[in-house]
Amino acid sequence: MKQTRSTRIGLMLLQLLLALLVLLPFFWMFSVSLKPPAEPFAIPARLWPDNPTIDNYITAFRPEFRTYFFNSLVVSLSTVVISVTLGLLAAYSFTRAQLGVISALVGLVVLAQMFPHSAIIIPIYKMMRSANLLNTYWSLILAYVSVTLPVAIWMLRGFLLKLPAALEESAAIDGATPLRVFWDIVVPLSRPGLIATSVYVLIVTWQEFLFALSFTSTKEMRTLPVGLNDFIGQYGIRYGELMASSVMVSLPVMAVFFFLQRYFVAGITAGAVKG
Amino acid sequence: MRQDRRLHWLLLAPALLLMAVMLYYPMLGTVYESFHETSFLNPDPKFAGLALYRRVLADGTFIEVLVNSIVWTLGVVLLQNILGFLTALLLNQNLPMQGTLRAIVLLPFILPGVVAAILWRFMYDPQLGLVNSLLLQIGLIENSVAWLADSRIAMASVIIAAVWKGFPFSMLIYLAALQNVDRSQIEAATLDGAGPVRRLVDVTLPAIRDVVVVNIVLTMILTFNYFDIIWVLTKGGPQSATHIFPTKIYETGFGQFRFGEAATYGVFSILVLAVLVALYAIVQGGANRRRAAA
Repeated sequence: MKQTRSTRIGLMLLQLLLALLVLLPFFWMFSVSLKPPAEPFAIPARLWPDNPTIDNYITAFRPEFRTYFFNSLVVSLSTVVISVTLGLLAAYSFTRAQLGVISALVGLVVLAQMFPHSAIIIPIYKMMRSANLLNTYWSLILAYVSVTLPVAIWMLRGFLLKLPAALEESAAIDGATPLRVFWDIVVPLSRPGLIATSVYVLIVTWQEFLFALSFTSTKEMRTLPVGLNDFIGQYGIRYGELMASSVMVSLPVMAVFFFLQRYFVAGITAGAVKG
Repeated sequence: MRQDRRLHWLLLAPALLLMAVMLYYPMLGTVYESFHETSFLNPDPKFAGLALYRRVLADGTFIEVLVNSIVWTLGVVLLQNILGFLTALLLNQNLPMQGTLRAIVLLPFILPGVVAAILWRFMYDPQLGLVNSLLLQIGLIENSVAWLADSRIAMASVIIAAVWKGFPFSMLIYLAALQNVDRSQIEAATLDGAGPVRRLVDVTLPAIRDVVVVNIVLTMILTFNYFDIIWVLTKGGPQSATHIFPTKIYETGFGQFRFGEAATYGVFSILVLAVLVALYAIVQGGANRRRAAA
């Protein structure tokens, strides 16, 4: 396709406008986080502080914040490991077992992806309460593994369907047991799928809000999204600290995304476009 | 073979068990809860028959929540898909720096929902917020606007924040679909003298029609269920101007400890979703058949 010079310039300007639209809120978040706490807000708003400082970050990185951060880390990483492991096992069965019953169950996995968390939260809350799991990591890990599993299975199933069957078949002919085939051939070959799914589960879990809000009530057990939401009330309009906290909450997932973007994008779009 | 079969069930068991206990059973549990009343003072559930349904339906808030949910879902989905599609077209033009730009556009999607909501709450702040400040400077508004506190515009404000957060997802799907379109067909149309608009309407759109339809229904389901943005921005307020099913369920259940009524709202939201899921099954089924036939 040939584009005239002026069309190209027009399109590039449009791109610039798009980038600005997306980046402006981010830029402002960052700029306010660097504003000295004592410097009043300029009206109209100034885009960059006169004397940028990291004071807000130092204040915001208080003990509570560190607790929330640690809790988020424990819950998110556990969820990623468990959900992706169980997801791969299930996806392997779904793609390799030649059994009508098992293929029929795939529909239940797809359906479960669409369940409204708010509508099922009350029975889950009551289960957690009877099991004495409220205000524990397990309540969140169990809930997060359950809600991410359907998507994890679905994404990994898409990857496994594309693996060439020949390798597994020849290994089986050579006498390898199904478990050997799974461990020595399927797992290494699924690496891109495992990475993509892990990133997806991490992004979803790191920001999960509804379950964390309902299942944890003590400061010791809250995760970052809930803790951050609590800060709104506590900080009043100390937006500098609020924005510094927001930046610190976002950085870990942004970093993971930055390094593993390629896998993540492939994983998200594979199912949507090819089915 | 027999052993294989047992192995496959064994591998499936943990996942199936978890989904059964934590997703399917609570789905039925919500229906059960909706027939039982609890309150802060009487936390033990008492059978109430259809009383909670009558109470919820008789309360004017129910209609408001239903209408809000529809406005919110359609508003977000429409804007998010249009913006996502236009962005995908723009990022599919072989211009320099498109990889970088795609990464930039994806940032709001990666940003945790609560952070996005807090950021927009700040942007919408009547005195200190960037939105009023910019609009006043350009002269588009004459006085500060209370974006989230004015019940006439609060819904539009939360929709815009949600679209900013959600359109990268639609963009990603559409970009992948556009990159899958057969190049030779587009070139053939170009040789026949078709301009960019003609090519879009005659070649590209028919080729990605299924992806568009499926993606629209999928984002409807996700948006209808989305809780974080509205809860952090307005908690469903002012009054009930931005209450949708998820926020109303949470507030009734965990704010007022009226689990029965919350579950009743839950059942209604499941009914709405059932319609959307049926729609999804129909469009996805149609898409699969066409792909198999092609």
